[in-house]
Amino acid sequence: MTTFNVDSRGTACPGPITDLLRAYKKSQNGDTIILLANDPGAVPDTKTWCEMTKNEFAGSKQVEDAFEITVKVASKKA
Amino acid sequence: MKKIAVIGSGAGGLITSSKLAKDLYKEIKNGEVSITIFDKRTDQEFQPGYLEVAFRGTDPSKIRRPIDKLISPGVQVVHKNIEKVDLAERYVKTEGDGGEKVDFDYIVISTGASPDNDQIDGLKEANMDFHTSANKSSLIYNQVSKIKSGRIVVGIGGVPYKCPPSPNESAFMLDEYFRKAGIRDKVEITYVTPFTRIYSAETINEVIAPMYESRNIESITVFNTDTVDSKKKEITSIEGETLKYDYLYLTPPHKTAGFLKESEIVDEDGWVKVDKKDMHITTYDNGFAIGDTTNIPISKAGVEAHLEGIVVANNITGDINGTGRAYKFTGRTQCSMETGFHKATFVVGTYDRPVEKIQPSTMNYMEKKVMEKIYWSSLHGHYEWLFKHHFKEDYFEHQEPIAH
Repeated sequence: MTTFNVDSRGTACPGPITDLLRAYKKSQNGDTIILLANDPGAVPDTKTWCEMTKNEFAGSKQVEDAFEITVKVASKKA
Repeated sequence: MKKIAVIGSGAGGLITSSKLAKDLYKEIKNGEVSITIFDKRTDQEFQPGYLEVAFRGTDPSKIRRPIDKLISPGVQVVHKNIEKVDLAERYVKTEGDGGEKVDFDYIVISTGASPDNDQIDGLKEANMDFHTSANKSSLIYNQVSKIKSGRIVVGIGGVPYKCPPSPNESAFMLDEYFRKAGIRDKVEITYVTPFTRIYSAETINEVIAPMYESRNIESITVFNTDTVDSKKKEITSIEGETLKYDYLYLTPPHKTAGFLKESEIVDEDGWVKVDKKDMHITTYDNGFAIGDTTNIPISKAGVEAHLEGIVVANNITGDINGTGRAYKFTGRTQCSMETGFHKATFVVGTYDRPVEKIQPSTMNYMEKKVMEKIYWSSLHGHYEWLFKHHFKEDYFEHQEPIAH
């Protein structure tokens, strides 16, 4: 299992989701994507994306001036 | 002599060199400064015009000009590609066996982005795109003009890609074409996107989502194209959804110029790492990158390359004449989105201001058309007064440099 650390700080919509998609494409089920973003829309957008794609939104927390968002990859087709 | 190398003769490279040549006219005349553009291409195409070629049948030659006619006086051009940039030793090497080392004091990398069908299995065989060239775009019109019925799939094949509104424009323009042909009820148009909304910026999504419904354009969100099967005529997403098509005009994910890939100045996907405000390459003060080739978090489009080029040219001039680097890029976007039937909206925002909600109008469409008319002259810098007036405080940030 791999952890993808994606630093999307300084980017605004659709930056964080674009960066998330780029990491998602390289990932496999069981991998973790940790997205660091300071765009306030990044947390709700990632939540929506996880709901729609059936990946797991494992949480978000404030780290200094950014949000650290954790996504567990779960829904890629075998 | 201060030598300025500009790599790439697209919109960004040309406006940067024009602005430098104008502002450093005396220095060039006195042999104190030289500006050289490197690019193998001998023609430039007006890339936003690819949509007109693909969906309205515009002749490809109408959106093409010889590079030599777009180069401003005082700028030299070398019709060779670059295969290596060494920022520490300050030289570039031209491509091929007889490649030549050319020294520089300042470098501006403006090599753009190009479609990369190879990132998606089967895409190359199945897809026709309107981002590669005018000639390739014209192949789409050849096909569209023969369609009598069936399902056309358009949309975002992968990220990043050039000109964010263009996949939406293709859907709207196809809708217009088949309505005018009187066979819209026989042609299904489906738009796919990996994002959670039809347009990733919410304000623009609020404007165009109802139009998709009223025009009967199907939209499928969170569709991350993974593979394409040209025999079965199916595309499958990472999420496991499969979609049938009869005609496929997806916008492919884009890639950076090949020579940058092994370089220390790029991120893991090959985009040049720059300061998003002054566009200098983060590890080198004498190197800059502008336009699609950078990793900055805004759309890949010509207007950004233009505004960034003006900032970089001003700062190089400031360095050379001793007034310092006083200009910063504001992150201003101005991407037009045609919605069909002579209407358009614009995707307008900056680093500090979210994208505005602008309703489609005929005035916006006319503004887009005016830009098409003045494009070639604008590359010589003839319309900076107009851009400055139009963009106001977003044209650039200017502040007096701090004295050291």
